[in-house]
Amino acid sequence: MVRFEDVYLRYGRGPDILQRLDFRLEPGSFHFLVGPSGAGKSSLLKLLYLGQRPSQGRISLFGRDVSKLDRDERALLRRRIGVIFQDFRLIAHLSVFENVALPLRISGEPEGRLRAKVEELLAWVGLADCINALPATLSGGQQQRIAIARAVISRPSLIVADEPTGNVDDRIAMRLMHLFVELHRSGTTVVIATHNESLVERIGKPALHLSGGSLYQPGGTPLPEEALDEEGPHSREVNP
Amino acid sequence: MISLRRRPRDLPLSRDASARFLPWLIAFMVYLAAIALASALAAQKIADRWDQDLSGRITIQVPHAALSDAGNPAESADIDALVDYLLEVPAVSGVDVLDRQRSAELVEPWLGDLAGQAELPIPQLITLELREDLSLPEGFEARIEALAPGAQVDDHQRWIGGLLDFAQSIQTVALLVVLLVGAAAVITVIFVTRTGLAIHRQMIELLHLIGARDRYVAAQFQGHAFRLGLGGGLIGLLAAVATLLGLERLVDRQPTALLPDLSLGYMDWALLLFLPLFTALVALLTARFTVLRTLARLT
Ligand SMILES: Nc1ncnc2c1ncn2[C@@H]1O[C@H](COP(=O)(O)OP(=O)(O)OP(=O)(O)O)[C@@H](O)[C@H]1O
Ligand SMILES: [Mg+2]
Repeated sequence: MVRFEDVYLRYGRGPDILQRLDFRLEPGSFHFLVGPSGAGKSSLLKLLYLGQRPSQGRISLFGRDVSKLDRDERALLRRRIGVIFQDFRLIAHLSVFENVALPLRISGEPEGRLRAKVEELLAWVGLADCINALPATLSGGQQQRIAIARAVISRPSLIVADEPTGNVDDRIAMRLMHLFVELHRSGTTVVIATHNESLVERIGKPALHLSGGSLYQPGGTPLPEEALDEEGPHSREVNP
Repeated sequence: MISLRRRPRDLPLSRDASARFLPWLIAFMVYLAAIALASALAAQKIADRWDQDLSGRITIQVPHAALSDAGNPAESADIDALVDYLLEVPAVSGVDVLDRQRSAELVEPWLGDLAGQAELPIPQLITLELREDLSLPEGFEARIEALAPGAQVDDHQRWIGGLLDFAQSIQTVALLVVLLVGAAAVITVIFVTRTGLAIHRQMIELLHLIGARDRYVAAQFQGHAFRLGLGGGLIGLLAAVATLLGLERLVDRQPTALLPDLSLGYMDWALLLFLPLFTALVALLTARFTVLRTLARLT
């Protein structure tokens, strides 16, 4: 599903933000990505959803070396990845319906099929009433859920979420987490960056620890690749 | 390729400043192009008409002073002899001696009532129809000079040639104007599109991250450009049509001898009506090409 081989990242001529990343995520696995603010969580996710190229090393997604893709192939690959951005990135002048329908429109879904799908997704995140609202009229937590609905509407096989519980209280955070667990159960690979460690404990899924730009086991030594494969059995339920 | 869906565009392009000024700029350009095109078409028409009317004809002009009886040229002996000679020339298929009345009518637009007055020294005009298959005999002009001293033989070639050159240069200039205006429009659309790409960079990045291909982004810009082009084009065309109809009216009120019929034919109007659509298509293609090229340069 995801494979990083000796990946480094730096912005411009700055220092290495990420170093020696070497890991693999099995299809259907569920991982948290934890670490202090500024550790590079968002940066790692950016590499994961093809929002950034590594300055060194190789990243493979769905079995393909992403550096070898042309622009159109990258676009098609990105359609299999649902992203929930740290700042949501909803389009301000579009209604909730238009925002959530966007990935379907982009992938050429017939206009007639959009309404039902969007309604289903909004009901799933508990915001069926907000379909015609503009994002700015919604609370942070509601926008968060709209962003989740948009990320999953085209049934991606990989979901990447950056602090999806950053703006909500613990109760809502747990509810959101259960949405991700539900997606994971249906076979989707999930990666969630968060600094809410108590949440991680309560969900009981493995975590990648990022510190100083490298991945560590909670114990302290750099994480060997194999340690991340514990969710392997789920690989049989991956979405088509 | 052109989507006219009512749903809001992902990129709020219609709120950019360009959406406000571009249609007027395009309207102005289409106006210029339409007027230039109409001039070219009219010039072509005039040239064709004159060419048709005047080739195959010769006019002989006998000065008033040379006429033996200035008031009554028909009785003048050397005019009769001249006409007799002309009728014998094989290449001449017809001879038309303009009487005083018709000559006066011809100059009336310039001279008004004065033209009818007998003492006016109006030259005697003789028009010859020529056969296309035969040429005039050697010494034709010398013979005429002998029969009517001071007579001028005018085969209109110089005049027609000059007119055709003039019509052609009008057309060249008009074509140049159309090309320049077109180039200016293309450059404007390129500039506006690049600005739009810069303004909406973040949102375009988002569309890409959601899986949009470059052509999806291009479609937004090209649809926008098409609409602005069409809107501006229609405004420009409307103004141009108003101007041309006004001009046509003006020409119709003038004495016909001075200005030939300038009115455009159906095909000419059709060509002009096609301008806004053509402009919109050029805008569309320019925007599309600009977006695709700019995005392809990104890594
Ligand atoms: N676009 C960028 N250009 C330059 N430097 C950047 C850029 N994005 C992030 N950085 C730097 O990379 C480092 C890691 O940032 P990143 O956003 O990945 O951290 P994070 O773990 O997500 O932090 P947080 O928990 O606060 O979201 C920071 O030092 C930041 O300044
Ligand atoms: Mg972050």
